[in-house]
Amino acid sequence: MSAWFSPDSIDDALALIERHPDARLIAGGTDLLVRRRSEMSDIPLISLERVAALQGIEEVREDGMLAIGAATRIAELAVSPLLAANAPLLQRAALSFGAPAIRNMASVGGNLCTASPAGDCLPPLHALGAQVELIARAGRRRLPISDFIVGPGRTSLAPGEIVTRVLLPSRDRFAWQAYEKIGRRQSLAISVVSFAALLRLDDEQRIAEAHLAWGSVGPTVVTAPELANWLLGKPLDQSLIDVAAERARAAVCPIDDLRAGADYRRALAGNLLRRFLRRVQHG
Amino acid sequence: MTKTTNDVNALAVGANETRADAKAKAQGREPYAADYYPDGVLWAGAVRPGARQGVAHARLLAIDTAAAAALPGVVKILTAADVPGTNRQGIVHKDMPVLVGDKLRYAGDPVALVIAESREALRQAIGLVVVSLEPLPAVCDPVAAMAEGAVRVHDERADNLLAAAEIRLGEGAQGLDHCDVVVAGSFSTPVQAHGFIETENGVACCAPDGSLTMTISTQAPFRDRMEIAHALGLSFDQIRIVAPCLGGGFGGKDGATVQCLLALAALHSDGRPVKMVWGREENLLAGYRRHSCRVDYRLGANRDGTLEAVHCRLVYDTGAYAHLGGEVMALGMEHAGGPYRIPHVLIEGQCVYTNNPVAGAMRAFGVCQVTFAFEAMIAELARELGIDPLALRRQNALLPGDTNCAGVVVGESTGIADCLDLIAGHPLWLERAAWKDAAPPGTQRGVGLAAVFNAAGYGAKVRDSAIAKVELTGDGQFVVHNAVSDMGQGNAAAFVQIAGHVLQQDAARVSVRQPDTATAYPSGSSSAGRTTFTFGNALIVACEQLKARLINRAGLLLFVDDDSTLTLVPGKIVHQASAREVSLARLAGFLRDEERSCLGEYVAPLCPDPGTGKGFFIGFPHVVFAYGAHLARIEVDLSTGQIRVVDYLAVTDGGQVINPAMYDQQVHGGVAQGLGYALMEDLATRDGQVLAGDFSRYLIPGALDLPEITSVACPGEESRGPFGMKGIGEVAMNGPLPAVANALADGCAIHLRDAPLTPERVLLALESLAEESSQ
Ligand SMILES: Cc1cc2nc3c(=O)[nH]c(=O)nc-3n(C[C@H](O)[C@H](O)[C@H](O)COP(=O)(O)OP(=O)(O)OC[C@H]3O[C@@H](n4cnc5c(N)ncnc54)[C@H](O)[C@@H]3O)c2cc1C
Repeated sequence: MSAWFSPDSIDDALALIERHPDARLIAGGTDLLVRRRSEMSDIPLISLERVAALQGIEEVREDGMLAIGAATRIAELAVSPLLAANAPLLQRAALSFGAPAIRNMASVGGNLCTASPAGDCLPPLHALGAQVELIARAGRRRLPISDFIVGPGRTSLAPGEIVTRVLLPSRDRFAWQAYEKIGRRQSLAISVVSFAALLRLDDEQRIAEAHLAWGSVGPTVVTAPELANWLLGKPLDQSLIDVAAERARAAVCPIDDLRAGADYRRALAGNLLRRFLRRVQHG
Repeated sequence: MTKTTNDVNALAVGANETRADAKAKAQGREPYAADYYPDGVLWAGAVRPGARQGVAHARLLAIDTAAAAALPGVVKILTAADVPGTNRQGIVHKDMPVLVGDKLRYAGDPVALVIAESREALRQAIGLVVVSLEPLPAVCDPVAAMAEGAVRVHDERADNLLAAAEIRLGEGAQGLDHCDVVVAGSFSTPVQAHGFIETENGVACCAPDGSLTMTISTQAPFRDRMEIAHALGLSFDQIRIVAPCLGGGFGGKDGATVQCLLALAALHSDGRPVKMVWGREENLLAGYRRHSCRVDYRLGANRDGTLEAVHCRLVYDTGAYAHLGGEVMALGMEHAGGPYRIPHVLIEGQCVYTNNPVAGAMRAFGVCQVTFAFEAMIAELARELGIDPLALRRQNALLPGDTNCAGVVVGESTGIADCLDLIAGHPLWLERAAWKDAAPPGTQRGVGLAAVFNAAGYGAKVRDSAIAKVELTGDGQFVVHNAVSDMGQGNAAAFVQIAGHVLQQDAARVSVRQPDTATAYPSGSSSAGRTTFTFGNALIVACEQLKARLINRAGLLLFVDDDSTLTLVPGKIVHQASAREVSLARLAGFLRDEERSCLGEYVAPLCPDPGTGKGFFIGFPHVVFAYGAHLARIEVDLSTGQIRVVDYLAVTDGGQVINPAMYDQQVHGGVAQGLGYALMEDLATRDGQVLAGDFSRYLIPGALDLPEITSVACPGEESRGPFGMKGIGEVAMNGPLPAVANALADGCAIHLRDAPLTPERVLLALESLAEESSQ
């Protein structure tokens, strides 16, 4: 069996990484241990669960952002009052995630680093304009989530780097927030298509601001900024909704796999946007 | 003889007695085969190169075990050359090698058996065995497999046909010619996995005298001995099988899984115990599964709704080996006309070898495939005729004395009409219109029905008997020696309840010993809705005998000559008139060992040959049937195609009820498994390779996917059953797929013919319906 290290500070974790360059970081282990089941490697593991700086959700005074520690459990996202006030869609994603036992183990950082096109935190974090903070011996850096996740299962995490926090700009001005996950069953299901949206209307019921994101319809989350921009300033009526749904279908690039075919995913991408906009329309 | 007060109640048949295994199972203390880890245990595992190399059909050229054998901790590596005996296993047809010597017929065929000191060494060694294969063209489509010149799965079977048969009544298909209305449809059903929680496993040890003791997760301990003996050239009485409670079976542990491989390993382990446990991936690759089926139907009726004629063709894909494929097909055919009166019938069935993984027994085998098609046809006929679908079913429902679609005259216990009447009076049916109208925006609601039945027992030409043993222990307790495995359905608890009832004992005085071929007697498999029916009848005989013996001995002790004045009560026998009594513990002291046990035997009723079948080998026809009428209320999400089953009602005719709670559990479980079959389960393959090879991809329903299931027992009695009961373990499995499909047709006017009814299929059908209507 492999060695297991349990540092309690970021510095210790970085030191361990330096000493064991072949080691892997482990947070909840819900991805890593599944993979090791078929590989059963002897690679040493460095656990992040005791590193206090990586835990919890708090407001960052200086820049008004919300900071979520990378090792924060999905279950904690689901009950956080700060998220309830600021980013309810991320909470909805947390509640649709796996099942209670998985939510008690899985971390938001693990979800980011796994970078699955179906990862449930990812569409909300894209729609929220999240930033990912990383640390290495050389120092800290921060990058937008869209630069952090570069492909299916691929991130710009450099060797020796740890994700420390996810930072969320304030989004409480968005009255409309939604996350929908369509899977093949109601729990413990990987999404077939997921959809996150933030939307704000102006006083004349025109779309003032919108951020959209779809999961499982491309190698990474699809945000369709042209579509979001096109919506701006337009009154929310039936014809707009129809065209928007059509555009959403065109914007995504899904594949066929065992869970569903590309045509179905494309149809869903449009229908979920349509359903969201209708809800907004009917107030 | 001192008098004690009688303050406990005897178990009673018909009462909601607590399941005898409830506490142990709730506490996780009930031992399964998988829980046994004898000291010094070795590990055995199979090398299955087909899946690894992506081939389903191949000539085996060479096996290089050198690297694996050199690994520390590897004890032995065996190949076909090491298999004594016929090297062939199978319940009826012995066509499945223990270890393949010449060619692989599917991706899971094993070519070598590794024995190692640890599970980890085993895993590594399996990966190091180098197998050279020469791929052969594979035939994975059952219809293509029957074509002229198709690749042969078994060299001696040119047409790849395992079995072909027909049932003909009246004018057969010609009966359709004079029908006012004929509806037709083609259907397909998916492969379903059993999904039991305890995967195939066992532990075995060979004693110096050559005798084998095996603890196996198995539904058929007595037959296992025969199968192992045949395959490995042993004598069956050298083999002892112990069968603890199973962590689920559903048919998947009927027939050899680990048995022959494990026995072979034990023969090469120098007296050390050896254990084999299939992982989930191995279970989904090499375990048995439900047959997929293609079905073509034509169903005809008169304008007034009287069913006149049915013609159908069924093609079952049995995969690479027979298992019970022929019998699965036969049972499906026997049910292909539904629980209705139809004078003119032609049912044609074929069961075909392919290079797909091996299909075998699974709850409601053969039947749930045809029920989907038949009940969809009935619903379509109702629409076509403008008759209420419940009324149409009721009008044609079999009544006692009618002839069913196999030509069998059905007996008194034929309750399908009563089941339908109970649906007709139920609020879920009566209030359907208002419920449908209240569908939330973006959804549509529908209500669907299914009338189902399922035979119990092995069927003609297979002796269906049981030998029960009940024992009074030296300290005055009773032990039932169960001989038919309890895979979770609760038969062992039912036996305790039956024995307690006959012997008038309370729960604390009756226990059950799970099957052990050394102490129990051959009683067949735990399957086919026969378990409680057949063994229960034998157990009643045994208990009555023991009761009579104890009364007699008590009479001797108490100087009483009239048996009718002596009563057996919990823990003792009392003579009310004189207020004298003798405790069972004391009584046991007066008995010799062999007197303390009684055996009871029972043979299930036979069916006279109705002369309607051609081409059947065994298992056609049956005489005892459970019936059911199901109702599903569903809500369809029009944006996603997702079906939510909101309410489910299952009315079941299982004769008399031994234990209402256990009865409902069987129905709930059957409906849950049936809803999985209806909505999501699909163990699909491509070119013979399993696609959904683990539980992250093979989905079964969870708690959130299931509705509240209402189970209603339809009053009735099967006079041949123990206390009037008949087996209901399977019948509930048949309803959900057709009920949900019919609800979908009712709510959304889409008619899906391919199961499962996935959101994708639903949404695409909704879209094409919208396109059609906009044109
Ligand atoms: C049964 C089951 C159900 C699931 N359901 C869902 C679901 O519904 N939705 C969903 O999105 N996912 C699901 N998953 C996948 C998984 O739970 C998530 O991706 C989860 O967020 C991973 O987090 P973790 O803490 O367990 O990661 P781990 O397994 O501990 O780590 C995953 C990867 O990230 C790396 N890593 C973790 N933390 C850091 C860090 N701070 N810095 C650098 N690298 C790091 C690890 O080295 C590893 O490579 C499921 C998994 C299982 C087993």
